[in-house]
Amino acid sequence: MAGDEGGGVNQLAQATVYGLLQGCLFGLVAVGFSLVWGVLNVVNLAHGAFVLGGAYLAWELHDAFGLDPFVSMLPAAVVLFGLGYAIQRWLVNLVVNAPIFITLLLTFGLQLLAVNTLILLFTANYRSIPTGYTGISLVLAGDVRVPLGRLIAAALAIGLTAALVYLTRRTRTGLAILATGMDRGAARLMSIKAAHVYALTFGLAAALAGAAGAAVGAVGTFSPADAGRLTLFSFVAAVLGGLGNMWGALLGGLVLGLVESWGGQLLPGTLVNAVAFAALVIVLAIRPQGLAGRAFYASRLEA
Amino acid sequence: MTHLDAAPAETAGVPATGRRRYWLPVLRWEGGAVALLAALALQTRLYTGQERTVTTIAMFVALAAAWNLIGGYAGYACFGQVGFFGLGGYTAAVLMTHGHLSFWLALPLAAALAGAFAALIGWPLLRLKGHYFAVATLGVSEGLREVVINAGTLTGGGAGITIPTAGAGAPTAWLGNDGFYVLMVLIAFATVALVAIIARSRTGYALRAINQDEDAAASMGINTTVAKTIAFAGSAALTGAVGAAYAFQQVTIFPERLFDVDVTVLMVVMVVLGGAGTVLGPVLGAVAVAFASEWLRQRFTDVHSFVLGALIIVAVVLLPQGVTAYARDAVRERRLSLLENVRRYRL
Repeated sequence: MAGDEGGGVNQLAQATVYGLLQGCLFGLVAVGFSLVWGVLNVVNLAHGAFVLGGAYLAWELHDAFGLDPFVSMLPAAVVLFGLGYAIQRWLVNLVVNAPIFITLLLTFGLQLLAVNTLILLFTANYRSIPTGYTGISLVLAGDVRVPLGRLIAAALAIGLTAALVYLTRRTRTGLAILATGMDRGAARLMSIKAAHVYALTFGLAAALAGAAGAAVGAVGTFSPADAGRLTLFSFVAAVLGGLGNMWGALLGGLVLGLVESWGGQLLPGTLVNAVAFAALVIVLAIRPQGLAGRAFYASRLEA
Repeated sequence: MTHLDAAPAETAGVPATGRRRYWLPVLRWEGGAVALLAALALQTRLYTGQERTVTTIAMFVALAAAWNLIGGYAGYACFGQVGFFGLGGYTAAVLMTHGHLSFWLALPLAAALAGAFAALIGWPLLRLKGHYFAVATLGVSEGLREVVINAGTLTGGGAGITIPTAGAGAPTAWLGNDGFYVLMVLIAFATVALVAIIARSRTGYALRAINQDEDAAASMGINTTVAKTIAFAGSAALTGAVGAAYAFQQVTIFPERLFDVDVTVLMVVMVVLGGAGTVLGPVLGAVAVAFASEWLRQRFTDVHSFVLGALIIVAVVLLPQGVTAYARDAVRERRLSLLENVRRYRL
C-alpha cells in the first residue's frame, strides 16, 4: 500500500473498508434467504419485505421506548420467527411440491401483501433510526474512517452467521433441518416431522431477516419500496456464495459489497449495479453451485 | 419420430388421455377468426377509456402467450422476460428518434434484436435449470435496465426518451387510440397464432418432451439446445415486438416502466392461472387478470396492490394447475373439488 499517491491509495482503502462492512450487512440480509432456498428449494421473494418488517419494528421500538436498534434485533427476530413459522406451516407448505412458478408466485403475492401493509401503516416515506453513534467513526491510519454503527452491524452479522453454523451442525434441530433439506423422504423415515422442520427453517430465516432489518435501520434509511432491492441483493449474495453453506451467503455478501464499493469508485452513475448483475450471470454460467457451494446441493440444478 | 408428426392437431396441452375433447375444435382457427372479428367490431362500441383498457388487455394477451412458449411449453421459468419487452421498446424508440426510421421498420427490427439477444444469452443460460435460470434471466433484465439508464446519450437515461410523433420530424405519425387498438389486437392474435403453430410443430413436441424430462428427451434424439433456443428467442422476439408497439403508444418511455419486474410477474401469473403449456390458457388468464387488475385499480385505488397480492395467493393455492386443466378435469372426471387441487401439491 506504500506509494506516493497517498490520496488514491487512501480512497481505495476507504472503499475496501466500506465494501467489507456493507458486504457483511448484505450477508446478514441474505443468510436466511439462502437457508430457505437450500433446505426448502423455495425462492422467497417476500424476504426483502421480512427484512423491512424488522426495520420498522426496530423503528417503532425506538420511537416508543427509545430502544437501541441493535437491542431491538432480538424482539424483531422473535416476532418474525412466529410470523415466518405460521406462513410456512399453514400457507407455503400447501404448495411446496408444486412447480417452481407456483412457489415464486405465492411468495410474490406475500411480498405484495407485506409491502402494501407497510405502506398503509408507515407511509412510503424514507425513515431512519437515530442512534447515539450516528456520525461516530473510528479513524485508522491514513484517515480511513470506520463508521461505528456499521462496525457493530458487521460484527453482529459474523456472530449471527457463526451461531447459525453452530445450530445447523451441532444441534439436533439443526441436523434435522439439514437432513430434511438433503432428502425429505429419508428424513421422514427417521421420524423427522417435515412440516414442522420446514416451518422452523422458514421461521429461522424470517428471524434472521428481522434481525438484519434492525441492523439495516440502524445504519441507513429504508422505505417499503426497498423490499424488491433487498430481495435481489439476497439473490445475488446467495447465488455468489453458493447454497447450503451458511458461510456462503456472507462470502457472497462480501463479494457483492466489494464489487459495489470498488465499482462505485471506477464507474459512472449506477452502472455498478449492472456490474453486480453481470457478475451474477457469469458466476451462474461458469460455476452454478456458487463460489463456495457444495457438490450435493448442485444436484438441485436438476430439480 | 413420425408418430409425433402424425399426432392430432388438437392435442395442444397435455396429451389427451382416453376421451376425445369433442368441444375443443370449436376453439381452434375458426374460433380464433371469429374472436378477432368480434374484437375489431367491439371497438365501435367502446368509450375512449374502455378502448385503452381493452388495448392494455390485448397487450397482456400477447405478452402472456409469448412467455408461455418458454415458460409453459419448455418449462423454463424466465423471470427476466420484461428485459426483452424493454429492449424491444427502447430499440424502436432509439431507431425512430435518432435513426428517423419508420415505425413499421422499427417494429420488426426491435423484434429481431430482442430475439437475437435472447439467442445469444440463451447459449450459456439455457444450460441452467429451475430457480437458477429464473435468477439468471432476472439478473439479465435488471442489468439491461441499468445499461439503458446509463447510456444517456442514446436512451435519454432515467429521464426517458420521447419519440417524435407529430410534425416534420416524425418518422411515423402517432396512430391514435383507434389505431393502437387495432395494432395491439392484431399483435395479440398474431402472437397466439404463432405460438399455436410452434406448439403443434416438431419443435413444440420437443419442448413438451423437454418440460417432462430433458434427459429422456435428449436420449430420444431431440436436439434440446436447438429446441430451447428456438423457444427462448421466439418468445423474446414476440415480447420485443409488443414492447416496440407499447413504446410508440406511450410516446415517452422510462426505464423504470419498461423494465418493471411486475410486468414479468403479471405474465407468469396470467400463464399459470390460465394454464401453462396450452394455447388458450394464457389468453384466458391474461384477459381475466388484466381485467381484474384494471378493475381493482379503479375500485380500490389505495389498496389495489394489496388485494391483488391476496388474490394471487388464493388463486395459486386453489388452482395451481391453471383454469384450463381444472376445467378439463372437471368435465372429464367430474372432479370439481378445489380441495383436491390443494391436496395435490401439499407437503
